Amino acid sequence: MNSGFWSMGGYARYVWPCIAFACAVLAWNLWSARRFLAAARSRAGRAIAMADAEGKAR
Amino acid sequence: MWTWFYKLASPPYVYGVAAALMPWFLGVAALAIGYGLIGGLVFAPPDYQQGDAFRIIYVHVPNAWMSEFVYTTMAVAGAIALIWRIKVAHAVAAASAPIGASFTLAALFTGSMWGKPMWGTYWAWDPRLTSELILLFLYVGVMSLRSAFEDPARGDRAAALLSIVGVVNIPIIKFSVVWWNSLHQGATVAKLGKPSIAGSMLWPLLSMFVGFMLFYGAVLCLRLQGEVLSRERQSAWVREAVKS
Repeated sequence: MNSGFWSMGGYARYVWPCIAFACAVLAWNLWSARRFLAAARSRAGRAIAMADAEGKAR
Repeated sequence: MWTWFYKLASPPYVYGVAAALMPWFLGVAALAIGYGLIGGLVFAPPDYQQGDAFRIIYVHVPNAWMSEFVYTTMAVAGAIALIWRIKVAHAVAAASAPIGASFTLAALFTGSMWGKPMWGTYWAWDPRLTSELILLFLYVGVMSLRSAFEDPARGDRAAALLSIVGVVNIPIIKFSVVWWNSLHQGATVAKLGKPSIAGSMLWPLLSMFVGFMLFYGAVLCLRLQGEVLSRERQSAWVREAVKS
């Protein structure tokens, strides 16, 4: 890549933060959605384990 | 057709479909966004007026389009949930809200960064910018309202109502540049006639749009699975789903 590409014709300080912010938003979406699903799985797993334990106690 | 529609109301069916579709959506989204970014940042020529600053379009426009598309999806899902009492539709709306809010924030940020070199200011109380900011407030309002009730069903209904009322803002955003004097440029791509953008600039932009749509699909699939699991925790099928 030549320096002209990185300097974006003098607009680098506007273009690159936009690209970085947009990529960060995509990454956050993916990370938070995976975390949300993992937390929901974990909560459901705990609820099932508690129900099983209660069933055995009876 | 109707059988398929009714199947979509079944939480285990939706959970399975979302799990199966997610990797495909994500894979094709990565390819489309990769092509769009390389095509837009490397191969597209500079704009004759804006120079290389125009390249912000490749992240600004997809985020702005998605902010409106996701809100409309959320409002339609809310309407389906209220009319047909389909719980999965509430889950779709709840899963969409944070995704749409993040796209709106990105559209505002990138628009503001584009405004500085072109208009000489990061922000102006312009009709397009203001209506997009209202969209962000609507997303935050819908998410806050949903979590403000102890009874989740009441929260879902209130959030659905607000999202349906707020959908009036979507045509306001779209036509704000036509109805009022605006600093913001008019439609470039979505014109009924010929788009006023060269093909070498247009194709990467369309690829970004397809990529963002599929990315939304992928993230929606992940969040929807989580929503369905949380809402159906007491159901027998969840036992199998959690084990797998």
